[in-house]
Amino acid sequence: MKLKDDQWNLGHLRRHLQAAAELEAWTIPYYLAAMFSVVDRSSDAYQLIQSVVHQEMLHLQLVANIANSYGYSPVFGPATFPYHGTAIPHLDFALDPDNPTTQFSPYSAEIGPLDERRINAMCLIEYPEWDTGGRPDYHDKVNEYGSIGEFYDALERGARQLKGDIAGGVKQVDMFAAFYRDLPAMTVQGSGTRGLSEVVLLIDVIRDQGEAAKAVDMIAAPFRNTADDSAAQDSHYEKFSMIRRGELPSTYPMRDPSEYTPDDHKRREILMDNFARFTKLLGELFSGKSPAGFDPLMVTIGANVLACWRSGVTPRFS
Amino acid sequence: MPSTVFRLHPTINFARVGTSDDYYLSPETSAGLPVPGGGDTAGGLPIKRGTDDEPITSDDLRDGDGNLLRQAARFRIYAYPFTPPDAYPAGAGVEVYPGSTLIDGRVVKDVVWTVHLANKKANAYNVVPSEGLRAYADGQVPQLRNSNVYGTVDSPLRLSQLVIDPGPRAIASSAGAGEAVAFDAATVAGYSDRAGGIAQQPDYPKSFPQDSNDRLFAPSGPLDSLGELRTDERGRLLVLPAKGRTAAQYDEYGDPIPLTGDLNNGGWFDDTADGPVSATIRFEDGSVQDAFGAWVVCADPAYAPQIRNVVSVWDDVYDAWVRELELQPEICRGNEFQAGYRPSFSADIYPIFRAAALQRWTANIPELAVKAHRAVESIAATDDPDRTIMSGLAYVRNPNEPDELSVGVPLMPLSLGEAGTDFLAVSKTQYFFLEQWSRNRFDPDGESRLGPGEYLDMASLSNCLGGRYVPGIEVSYPIRQPDLYQTDWRTSGSGPFRPKPKPLDYRSAQRGRPFLSGGWIPLHGITDGLEPGDMTKFMSVPWQTDYNSCSIHQPSINTSGRNTATGNPLTLYWSWPSQRPDAVYPATAVVKGVLPPRVWSIRGPGTLTNDPKSAATFQRALQAVQQWDRIGVVLQGTAITRGDYPPDFFLEAESRLPSEGQSVNVVAQWPFNANPTAHGG
Repeated sequence: MKLKDDQWNLGHLRRHLQAAAELEAWTIPYYLAAMFSVVDRSSDAYQLIQSVVHQEMLHLQLVANIANSYGYSPVFGPATFPYHGTAIPHLDFALDPDNPTTQFSPYSAEIGPLDERRINAMCLIEYPEWDTGGRPDYHDKVNEYGSIGEFYDALERGARQLKGDIAGGVKQVDMFAAFYRDLPAMTVQGSGTRGLSEVVLLIDVIRDQGEAAKAVDMIAAPFRNTADDSAAQDSHYEKFSMIRRGELPSTYPMRDPSEYTPDDHKRREILMDNFARFTKLLGELFSGKSPAGFDPLMVTIGANVLACWRSGVTPRFS
Repeated sequence: MPSTVFRLHPTINFARVGTSDDYYLSPETSAGLPVPGGGDTAGGLPIKRGTDDEPITSDDLRDGDGNLLRQAARFRIYAYPFTPPDAYPAGAGVEVYPGSTLIDGRVVKDVVWTVHLANKKANAYNVVPSEGLRAYADGQVPQLRNSNVYGTVDSPLRLSQLVIDPGPRAIASSAGAGEAVAFDAATVAGYSDRAGGIAQQPDYPKSFPQDSNDRLFAPSGPLDSLGELRTDERGRLLVLPAKGRTAAQYDEYGDPIPLTGDLNNGGWFDDTADGPVSATIRFEDGSVQDAFGAWVVCADPAYAPQIRNVVSVWDDVYDAWVRELELQPEICRGNEFQAGYRPSFSADIYPIFRAAALQRWTANIPELAVKAHRAVESIAATDDPDRTIMSGLAYVRNPNEPDELSVGVPLMPLSLGEAGTDFLAVSKTQYFFLEQWSRNRFDPDGESRLGPGEYLDMASLSNCLGGRYVPGIEVSYPIRQPDLYQTDWRTSGSGPFRPKPKPLDYRSAQRGRPFLSGGWIPLHGITDGLEPGDMTKFMSVPWQTDYNSCSIHQPSINTSGRNTATGNPLTLYWSWPSQRPDAVYPATAVVKGVLPPRVWSIRGPGTLTNDPKSAATFQRALQAVQQWDRIGVVLQGTAITRGDYPPDFFLEAESRLPSEGQSVNVVAQWPFNANPTAHGG
């Protein structure tokens, strides 16, 4: 249901920010698993997905920083990470005017190796919003947006409308500044109008890195990774499209779950246990705490994913 | 019945230059690792002069005048029962010195030690950063240094003008600890007569730079010695290095020839050196027996002796012996690693984990990596590998996958690689051990099986820079070549890892005729052994310019300026982070146990720059030659006397580079970038 301007309130904004955090968080295990399934770590596909994974982590941080500037700390739990069928949280591609699922099919929201279904889903998630030049609509329910771009456009509009509620310097997390030397800020330190500039900057970073400034453009120079991204000028959508246009790289052989050994099950369970702990710490991190063991656990989860693939086991996060 | 053989240990040991007359002794423990009975003290600390094993403190780094102490290389003799074929590790060996009684009843009366140091750098071939060892392949050699001096590498003119060769020197244990024999022009050459005495060779054709140059630019004093021999209180050999001096020729305009680069400076000499070490043991019954000899290398100071290299010279040498010489067939046979082999967690796995965690003390590693490395270090032998941060070896660069040598983050080690490659990888043997561990095929309780002499071999080499031989700090890429060693160790009794000296008949030396030749080079089928100077000639000349520059670089420095690495081509990485400290924590700036911001190890006047890639260096090469001795040394907190620091801190002490009140290059959090060039690269 579309909302009128005078119906939009802080509750709507916070729900949108919670949804944004959930969507950014959801992509990380999904992309991460696809990346680690690739045998050749020097391959373009591996490197491109890795750069996107790192930026999704950045986006999660940015969303959380924006949310905290509006007095809300995103929460995470097992329900944040459903990987079933073709349902990608908060996105209904059929609402997009040109319904991209006709182009990117088949696709799957299930954790799996980098294959046709995964790369199609990755393109769908990052599918550009075709700029209509109009003012973005507000929707009551977050899943009423047809693309991430449209969703963030509405979010920005809503953030501007409620700039008076911005309180800077609250529960801000800054883990990636050294990777973006040309970006002036990754946190919201100002309040009110000054804070809004930072909020809009952070939204722009998310939107532009994800899909670029409308489809074919390169992402803006200040938003580019200055450290470890070989294709820093390309959006996520363009990176995934490059992978899709080429021959998909070899992935680790998968075995049927009925063939799993006790060690295989153990590796899967380790990943699920660690991810459950990590989900809890993630919420703590973005609510102003400094949870012990967060960084090593984050790194360990990647290792757990690879250990699964190398055993022929499809990773599972929950 | 087995015979008794005698072996010198370490097989390769390292003296290190300093500006003081005083000295301490080479470490006999392995960098960063626990020391048996050593409490919290990490291995790698040098030893106080006059003691068996008392580690130095920060008070021992400099003398009363502020001069940096030299490090003497100490050699010991071990007796082994020997029945061929030999195996490694022997796990045996008993140290002998004058007064020792052997199992067969013989009593050691005296030992005559012979050492021959030389410096062949100026007559050697250029270091080629993009090629390394390959520059010697297919019958080729790189361009000669000082090509203005006519001739081949073996021409008498070049040898007499460019090789620093004082000849051999000998000293008897019975001479006592007060006796010194110098490798200078004034001291007569001498060597063991193999009958228990010392033969003099007054006609030995010594050569020093001043012999063929009317005057030399000597910024730190005359280069007139390569070191000296002494013995300690038990009659063990001490090889003291020279004082880190350099000399340069003057050009036709009367100016000192400028230092034009890092590696191959024409017209310049330094006083590092290397050469064979031998010992003749004389017994009370009048009999004599030679020990299997060793090699000494006089190299750069150890500015961070306890910070372990992820890949050390030991890792490289051991890898070469395991894979190419079947040192331990149970590990590798026919160049195939054996799947049933179970490496020891403490000896084979933990050192890699420990090394990763120690990098933070000499490099500006970001906090996330510090925490991750700490998690790596905390892995215990009893942990299930699948439950650790090293699960699946997800972040270890695989040396068996050449393409991964171009992949940066998050693969480790993240420092720069060897010639022609972007990033460093652990050795193939190290990787095999890691794989076995990750598959739960390891020995969690295994203790070191090395005998005391074998332990010294390992410890000595483990304290040196491996992997990134461009060209390196102590030794370079040839150290991995099998023909550098005595490979008949199973039947000869020499034990492994022992360099093969070329037989030299000093009786044939003639005044005015160079005694040494161009010497051994790799990949040319030269199998008759090494001459003095044949290890250090592959290093930069002078060493100070290379030490200065090898701090932080773009990966393209290894690939002729063309970027082949993943990520931003301007991103900077560390060159020799464990051995050449980049960013450090000064002990004097630690307050109440809280670490201060990092500073560059090389800082103060003459270091300011606007390009981050040279932020940690002297901006002028000549300054590096003149002020290398002012750089501080990173030591474990408990070894620093003026303060109370915890054992898990490794802090810089005794820097003489003033920075108070100075503008300094700020240490940026990694990743950080070099300034772009005009063409963007």
